[in-house]
Amino acid sequence: MSPHSTPGDQRTTHFGYQEVPIEEKASRVADVFHSVAARYDVMNDLMSFGIHRLWKRLTIERSGVRPGHSVLDIAGGTGDLTLKFSRMVGPRGRVVLADINESMLRVGRDKLLDNGVGGNVEYVQANAECLPFPDNSFDCITIAFGLRNVTDKDAALRSMARVLKPGGRLLVLEFSKPNNPVLSRAYDEYSFRLLPTMGQMVAGDADSYRYLAESIRMHPDQETLKQMMEAAGLERVEYTNLTGGIVALHRGIKL
Amino acid sequence: MTLTPTLLLAGIERTLNALLARDMAAPTRLSRLAGSRLLLRLERPALTLLIGFHPHGIDLMRQDEPDESAVDTVVELDTETLGELLGGESLERLMFRGRLAIRGRVHLLEEVRDLFFDLDIDWEGELARWLGDVPAHSLAEGLKRMARWGLRAQEEMRADIAEYVFEEARLLPGRQQLDTLRDHLTELEVAADRLEARLNRLRRRLESEATA
Repeated sequence: MSPHSTPGDQRTTHFGYQEVPIEEKASRVADVFHSVAARYDVMNDLMSFGIHRLWKRLTIERSGVRPGHSVLDIAGGTGDLTLKFSRMVGPRGRVVLADINESMLRVGRDKLLDNGVGGNVEYVQANAECLPFPDNSFDCITIAFGLRNVTDKDAALRSMARVLKPGGRLLVLEFSKPNNPVLSRAYDEYSFRLLPTMGQMVAGDADSYRYLAESIRMHPDQETLKQMMEAAGLERVEYTNLTGGIVALHRGIKL
Repeated sequence: MTLTPTLLLAGIERTLNALLARDMAAPTRLSRLAGSRLLLRLERPALTLLIGFHPHGIDLMRQDEPDESAVDTVVELDTETLGELLGGESLERLMFRGRLAIRGRVHLLEEVRDLFFDLDIDWEGELARWLGDVPAHSLAEGLKRMARWGLRAQEEMRADIAEYVFEEARLLPGRQQLDTLRDHLTELEVAADRLEARLNRLRRRLESEATA
């Protein structure tokens, strides 16, 4: 799912259902997250009926993280995964919370500090496509609900594979394609009708939540993402469908 | 994939952490356990749980590919033994009976059990947060009085039933009568054995006289 060229030779990519020049996507995604950062947690709970916490919990269970490990939480947003990882790695380990968006990073840092998390967590504003870390730096990398917002997903996956230590795991938690037609229909109705209304009422921004629904539909399905991870150099890639495939957890290992 | 076990574990973790947060002494005990990891392997249903401790509570996680080298203690037991363990049965007794296997820091399991057994939750303080000091105190006193009355009523009822069954209606023998009866039966059993031995000796004598 890399950017592609149009007849006018202007390289474009999708932003929801729109085609935009590649250099524009990052700033438009940034605008979305600047807009929703303050109400991000509340909206996540409302939109998913709290189930996003279980999806993230399962990601943590599958991470295999243990004391002393280095963990990179990309697009870590408001720090849900980092909070748990910081306890799991202990004082000898470290967790890097990375996000391209300054507003999300600030909300995440405040939330973690309020929860007494400090010593072993670092905050880095970084683009997933070109991670500012040396090769073979992390035992585990997670990206939860962030990959679909990245402009060049293949470059991002290659970058993650590069900074992963041999034997390390990459976990991608992302919206995917429901595997039941009835569920899929209900999910479409919910995403395109109810979600923007809820976004307007709670966060005062319907467009950002319309983008969310569109970006989910444009994201590669389970099998395509698996192939992309394999192409990036990860092995033993497998995925688990959660809640009927609305979300999928992909896991790959760098050997 | 079903999220039910994950939901259940999340609920248990939340409840236990809420209870720990209501015990004033828990932070001190938790700080001693912080950083420790205990792997619990349950048979039937086959379930491997990782229990991690941190200064504010515990983390409960399912483990599909557990790594024993990354934990302090590994505990293997079945559901029945887990019930006995939570019911206060001694660790040593369960280990000697071969029902409980522990590897690594054996005392960690004991410390964890003590952490939850010794919970002293200040319910009145918690109620006061929601209702105010005076109503919470009145409610707590009322509940304590009701609990005391319940215990007293239970004891009195047990004594009344015993008196009716053993003394008034004489439907069943009392404890003393039962003990006396048991003593008499034991004496009778011993006497019958002696008599049997004498008869055997007499029979052997008669048989030897008949052959001679």
